Amino acid sequence: MQTKFKLPEFFQRQVSEPLLLECKADLDPEGCFGEQWIAVSEEKLVVWHRDEAPRLTLPLAEIKDARAVSAVGGGSLHIDTDFGPVVAVRYTAALIPMFDYAAKLIKAAAHSEELPVLSERDLPRSCPQCGNPLDEGMQVCAQCMNKGKLAIRMLRYAKPYKLQMVIAGVLLILTTLVELIPPYLTKIMIDDVLGAARQSTRLLAVIGGLGLTTLVMAAMQAVRGLIGIWVGSKLMGDFRKDIFSALMKLSLAFFDRRQTTQFIGRVNNDAEAMRQFLTDGVIYVIGQLLRFVAVLFILFSLDWKLTLFALIPVPFMVLLSMKIWPKIGRLAYQQWRSILRLNMLVGDSLQGIRVVKAFGRERTEMSRYEQTNTEVVHNNLRMEGMWQFIFPVFSLVTGAGTLLIWYHGGHKVLEGTLQLGTLMALLSYLGMLFGPLEWIQQMINWTSTAMAAAYRVFEVLDTVPEVMDVHEPVPIGTIKGDVAFTKVTYGYEKHNPVLKEIDLQVKSGEMIGLVGHSGAGKSTFINLLCRFYDTDEGSISIDGIPIRSISQTDLRKQIGVVLQETFLFEGSIAENIAYAKPEATPEEIMRAAKIANAHDFIVRMPDGYDTQVGERGHKLSGGEKQRVAIARAVIHDPRILILDEATASVDTETERQIQEAIARLVHGRTTFAIAHRLSTLRNADRLVVLDKGRINEVGTHEELVKIPGGIYRKLVEAQQELSKIKGVEV
Amino acid sequence: MKDPYEIRILPPAAVNLKRGAGGVLGGKVENTHYEELTVYRTFPFRFDEEYISVRNAKGEELGIIRELAELEQDSREELRRELQYRYFLPRVNRIVSVKFKSDLWLWDLKTHLGPTRLAMRNLQDYVQLHSGGRVILSDISGKRCQITDWRSLDGHSRKWLEDTL
Ligand SMILES: Nc1ncnc2c1ncn2[C@@H]1O[C@H](COP(=O)(O)OP(=O)(O)OP(=O)(O)O)[C@@H](O)[C@H]1O
Ligand SMILES: [Mg+2]
Repeated sequence: MQTKFKLPEFFQRQVSEPLLLECKADLDPEGCFGEQWIAVSEEKLVVWHRDEAPRLTLPLAEIKDARAVSAVGGGSLHIDTDFGPVVAVRYTAALIPMFDYAAKLIKAAAHSEELPVLSERDLPRSCPQCGNPLDEGMQVCAQCMNKGKLAIRMLRYAKPYKLQMVIAGVLLILTTLVELIPPYLTKIMIDDVLGAARQSTRLLAVIGGLGLTTLVMAAMQAVRGLIGIWVGSKLMGDFRKDIFSALMKLSLAFFDRRQTTQFIGRVNNDAEAMRQFLTDGVIYVIGQLLRFVAVLFILFSLDWKLTLFALIPVPFMVLLSMKIWPKIGRLAYQQWRSILRLNMLVGDSLQGIRVVKAFGRERTEMSRYEQTNTEVVHNNLRMEGMWQFIFPVFSLVTGAGTLLIWYHGGHKVLEGTLQLGTLMALLSYLGMLFGPLEWIQQMINWTSTAMAAAYRVFEVLDTVPEVMDVHEPVPIGTIKGDVAFTKVTYGYEKHNPVLKEIDLQVKSGEMIGLVGHSGAGKSTFINLLCRFYDTDEGSISIDGIPIRSISQTDLRKQIGVVLQETFLFEGSIAENIAYAKPEATPEEIMRAAKIANAHDFIVRMPDGYDTQVGERGHKLSGGEKQRVAIARAVIHDPRILILDEATASVDTETERQIQEAIARLVHGRTTFAIAHRLSTLRNADRLVVLDKGRINEVGTHEELVKIPGGIYRKLVEAQQELSKIKGVEV
Repeated sequence: MKDPYEIRILPPAAVNLKRGAGGVLGGKVENTHYEELTVYRTFPFRFDEEYISVRNAKGEELGIIRELAELEQDSREELRRELQYRYFLPRVNRIVSVKFKSDLWLWDLKTHLGPTRLAMRNLQDYVQLHSGGRVILSDISGKRCQITDWRSLDGHSRKWLEDTL
């Protein structure tokens, strides 16, 4: 397997044997941006810098080990030799995965072991079209997803409402045309009716005509407005639905890397911006363009010379718009950002309101808010101020056009070469012509906001969930519950594995206790089993089927979890318990609660099972919340039960009761239980001790305490000491 | 006398750092020789050369160097070099240009480690403003650069920064 790098010819010549690896590092030996080449053959490892002569040559026979040592923002490839460690090359973060692979390959080659296989993910990802780096999970290169495509994609959302949009469009065209009539009628009025004597019938007719057009216009505007609102609301709904469902489908890794509060704003504001563009924006542009052309046509047919005069300022306006456009986009983006920050701040402070109060930091929060708030105000002023500046300038320019017409037209009227009515009509039409030009600014505003919003929205819609269902998932039905981990390695960041080469076979019905220091990787272990994340190496299988080929819905149907961070949804306790099984009967809910030892405390509450628990279940104590969560897992009736510190916040007596209940419950189910209080795991068939991401000891309690100096033994001893002091039984 | 719960500040005289033949940092810390030592900035953003955690190859902390400047010359230089290697966070000397090309922000920068280019998907996730005028720029691929204080950049760079942020 090859990296996509090709060793330059004059380096290539220096190595006669076939190469196992050739790649380029992006830093020079001094740690500056630059390049170095590294090649590995079956005989030796060679590193070149600028010169033709190698900077470093190491025979493989001398190499004991190769390690990719990660640093901050980059890393280095360390080679352990008989004479001490050697730094082969240094590189930036972009190449970390590749050099992780390189280290493994060098080690394997030096020990004449089977060479590891390079996977696509190890190579730095870049867009095939433009060479810019690609984001993880992005298939479309952002660079190559241009504005035009964005607009077209947005328009696609309007498709279901084609009919309404067309009606609105037709109405708009009609309104535009009808709007053109009054100035013409005015012209007739002045020139033909008021000028001549005794024309009262014709006067009435013209007034009637004027009245009718106004009426028709008003009616059409109302209908169009209604359609606009209807389509708009529907569109908003569609956008929001799509964004939210895309968010729900994304893998946890996506949210790990981002501030989640920003999405609250995104779902609403971005949808609004896109809606505005689609309903008001698109229709308006078409309407205004149409009107522009029609007015221009009429103007020219009325008096083409005068019209040309009036158009003199137009090029200036176009130029001005073009200059202003990018600036507006930038300002709009800044404003969006500062508002986002403000929202984030509010979200943060309110979520942590208990901590804020506990430490008495209300003032700090207020001043933090004040700061960001000032920024928003400032940005707002700049943005709005810009408009306040642009409007007068545009009116000035259009005003100049009007003045020109007055001047030349006035002369002509005085000379008698032009009728007064025609001049009046010309002026009215001119007003209409420049009206839309002022509208261009509004369009600029809408378009740039909408484009930015669309980009952000499609960014979410286009992100491919890192954990993907295979094309044709294997149907599993009800599983037995055998679980096997084979050489599983995983890191939240690829180059920093949290779990390393985990091998574990679990028979169905077995209860496994996971123990280890905080941060050892216990929660990560179960995250992988639930397939919240995909393994980097190795595989996990259930009943012999790799979980990657099982659909996630099927998989999670078989797994019940009580997570370390208990989360209760907005709703009643009953709804929370029945979360995974909404059709559960009240009896089932009570039975589950009973098993979780939650029944009694729930019944004692005035609202019983209908007690509303807030966002985070604030009305319940930590232990009560946990018991509700256990009940939620119980009612799910899973084949595999996972308890991550499920009983950490309940007293020992309650815990004992829950345990007994769980002991009955786990009967026949595969169970993984994590607990720091080791007594919790007394029913476990086997204990698995994790240490720094590796399985260190496996066995029953009795076996493990016998290992002298074993981690488990130490943990037990420590807890016994503690309980001796406290006089509690372990 | 070693209290495992106490932060151990290493007396400057007890630290003697050397670079091995292979280019790996090693040396003597409190009379023990180590072939390989790793150094960590404990406050990478606030302090560049203060409060440096020295650890052995297994990652166990040997102690904290309170101030790099207190060390004797050779150790000081080696430590400074090692920190530069380990914390690959080039300082931006000049912003050549910032372009928004079809939805990708491209930053052309001159750093104290040479010129480079960063590509960002958006600004809110990739540009972090810290206190004291520090700006951390990160790249889609995970590469990072820092502007130590945007107020002290030259006018040309400041204009780019102000226009974008
Ligand atoms: N979402 C995440 N992103 C990045 N790193 C993570 C994430 N979750 C956990 N880690 C890191 O992975 C390591 C293992 O974490 P894990 O949650 O598996 O520990 P644990 O054994 O469950 O600890 P505890 O007993 O405290 O719950 C830790 O070093 C932690 O910092
Ligand atoms: Mg945990």
